[in-house]
Amino acid sequence: MRLKIAEGRLYDPACHWDGEAGDLYIEAGRLVAPLPEVDQVIEARGQVVTPAGLDLRGQVATFGLDFRRLNGGPSLAEVGENYALLGYTHVHEPFLTAWTAGYVQRQLAALPVVDTSASLVVNLRELDLYLGSPEHGEEVGQTLRFLLEATRSLNFRVVEPFVQYRQDFYAHRIIKTEKVLGILTDLARRLDLPLALEASPEVLRAHLPEPAAFHLAGLGPGLADEGLVEAALAQLEAGASADLGLMLPSPGARKPPLPVKIDLGWFNPLDLNPQGDEAVGRRALALALCCQGGQVAFSGANAAQAPVAEYPRLFSWLWDHAARRQDWQDDLGARRYSLSEWIWATRTLPALASGCNTWAAAAPCSRRGKSWWITFAW
Amino acid sequence: MEVRHESIICPGCGCLCDDLDIRLEDDRIVEVGNVCLWGVSRFFHAKKFHPKKERHRLQEPQVRHQGRRSTVSYEAALAAAAEALSRAQRPLIYGLTNSGSWAQEAALRLARSLGARLEPSDLAYKAPYYQSLQRHGVIWAPLEIIRDEADAVLFWGANPIHSAPRHVVRHAVFARGRFTERGLEDRQVAAVDIYKTELAKFCPLFVKIQPGQELDLIKGVAAALTEKAASNPPVKGTRRLAQFLSKATCGVIFCGRGVSYGPALEWFEHLARLLDFLNGQARFFLFPLSGEFNSTGLYHLLLNEVGQAGAPDFGGAEVAAHFTPVDFREVDAVLVTGADLLWFLPEEQVEDLKQRQVPIVVLSPFANRTTGQAAVILPTALAGIEAKEVAYRMDGLPMVLKQVTPSNLPGDHQVLADLERLIKTQD
Repeated sequence: MRLKIAEGRLYDPACHWDGEAGDLYIEAGRLVAPLPEVDQVIEARGQVVTPAGLDLRGQVATFGLDFRRLNGGPSLAEVGENYALLGYTHVHEPFLTAWTAGYVQRQLAALPVVDTSASLVVNLRELDLYLGSPEHGEEVGQTLRFLLEATRSLNFRVVEPFVQYRQDFYAHRIIKTEKVLGILTDLARRLDLPLALEASPEVLRAHLPEPAAFHLAGLGPGLADEGLVEAALAQLEAGASADLGLMLPSPGARKPPLPVKIDLGWFNPLDLNPQGDEAVGRRALALALCCQGGQVAFSGANAAQAPVAEYPRLFSWLWDHAARRQDWQDDLGARRYSLSEWIWATRTLPALASGCNTWAAAAPCSRRGKSWWITFAW
Repeated sequence: MEVRHESIICPGCGCLCDDLDIRLEDDRIVEVGNVCLWGVSRFFHAKKFHPKKERHRLQEPQVRHQGRRSTVSYEAALAAAAEALSRAQRPLIYGLTNSGSWAQEAALRLARSLGARLEPSDLAYKAPYYQSLQRHGVIWAPLEIIRDEADAVLFWGANPIHSAPRHVVRHAVFARGRFTERGLEDRQVAAVDIYKTELAKFCPLFVKIQPGQELDLIKGVAAALTEKAASNPPVKGTRRLAQFLSKATCGVIFCGRGVSYGPALEWFEHLARLLDFLNGQARFFLFPLSGEFNSTGLYHLLLNEVGQAGAPDFGGAEVAAHFTPVDFREVDAVLVTGADLLWFLPEEQVEDLKQRQVPIVVLSPFANRTTGQAAVILPTALAGIEAKEVAYRMDGLPMVLKQVTPSNLPGDHQVLADLERLIKTQD
């Protein structure tokens, strides 16, 4: 199918397009040079044409998420449709483990419309004896590469950058965060892949030996105090990339949510229904407003605190003072994202962070391999 | 020709053991290694726990006409089934806990197009469990984590030797995990039941209660743990059970169908509250022990598609989810697959179905009590042995079951899809 999107206002920071009127030609799902003949023309005069969105942190298929549906919540079909309506064509599930890979991949395959991928969460406890000795670095790298292939994952994620045991008997095998970060830096170099590191207060405070080797995932929930905003900015300035992990405001008086916790063999269980904290959400948004046009991609914190149906509300905070005042009773300063900066944060950066480019909308990791360009009125 | 398959998944029960070794001669299974008696009953068509007593395998579609059953073509049986179901005002699709996920998906589609109610065969047991999760939340773990970490295992109204035999060696009692390297020596095991079951042989603490004492026991344990006075005189074993639970660093309570014979909803409610308390001190999981091989898959599907872990009824303008078993007096046609309905029904309900001449359509690989009364019988291939399927292990992890031997019979998902297509064309 040959397609022409005619006379739209083209935006793509990766190509330095900033609203110029022009035509786009698409053949076999790919952007191509102008074609002499096309099968279909989409008139986009006066409309904005951008690459499709890619959600770096779309918690849609985590093992145990079904239990959240017991108390309401969208079905997979609705989630897929919500993404499509927002102009997203790719969703990246952050929490796939070696045990739960079958479940996660099956759920992702059932997600309609959008392409999908997932991060393999590395449980450092399973490699602890080898992590401590540099001579085993190559073996660890090979093991992880094998697991990446076996679980059909896109990249690695570390949720707990430490090795800790509940059993006293294993006290001699504990490895502290600082040492683990050094080991992970070496591992990232070996694997030639940036490691996604879940942002926690410990990670934000820690010294990253080589910040560019890490992607700090879901900054929002990690911003437990004001000092951590500065710490996060310092990490970003030093070269780390990140995604925001924005969350909806939750009034403090609200009843705590029902626990939905899944023990995946980590030191702490994965909390699929965490309690919101208004101050943390505000810090995440304040950080987002400090980072416009920088190395921080847009993302929601998790399925409970930032469901995809609420993304339009999260987007509106980035560019609309009135929306911020309405939700946060404060406009959090004069800064606001321009359209180009918003496209950079929701399209270009997520594509770069996941090893794709906006032209092909995540083709290397996609099931369907389509590049979709989205037109909408602005 | 001899063929060997290794690491085959067994569709015998909810454990879905993935370590079976199979030897075939000329497409006939002649040897299965690492298999339990439930697995034997599937692979060798034997009666459960009687490996030398053969189960009658259904080979040809049959239709009952004026009280006499005759063998017909697949298309004729399908047409008779479609007619019986589409004529009904209140059709019911029953069972599915012993069917693969593809069959369950096909049955759900069929229920939607028929406007039928879809009833899992273990609704009385599982629905109260999910209702308690709705109110109290859930702490969950895959079976491997339980094997590695749980140092206190309690079976309540559950007898895994009968419902999931290898569960005790692969996941719970004798299994050697990462932090339970000595198996049973690294664990405390207890059981509560109204009969002295096989578990008593290796459970140092076996609490035998009288029927009806379940609630008093659980309230007594909760009172002992929270150091409050119990309202009723304590059931024998209360204090020891409370001590057992309080010593755990990571515990799991496996509950079985036994709990559904009493006031299941109230029981689960109290147990969920107890779990809330225990989780304040150590990690505790509440785990329903599924005998049927894909019961978890069905509830997973219902949660995903309908948003409720009950029996969905597509008969009204809006989909209603029911949490109590269907009243068979309201039903005027039944499709049974992946279950033996008449085995579980009380005799008076069976008689009522017979008297009202409610047509029963059965999809089954084996003859059973329900096929004996069926108006239409559609034989199917054995899911996971003669037909590829997907099933969810009792902890919710999906597994792909391979076809190990060919069959002339269609898989039950195929029959259900054909039935839906036929009913749609009739409309």
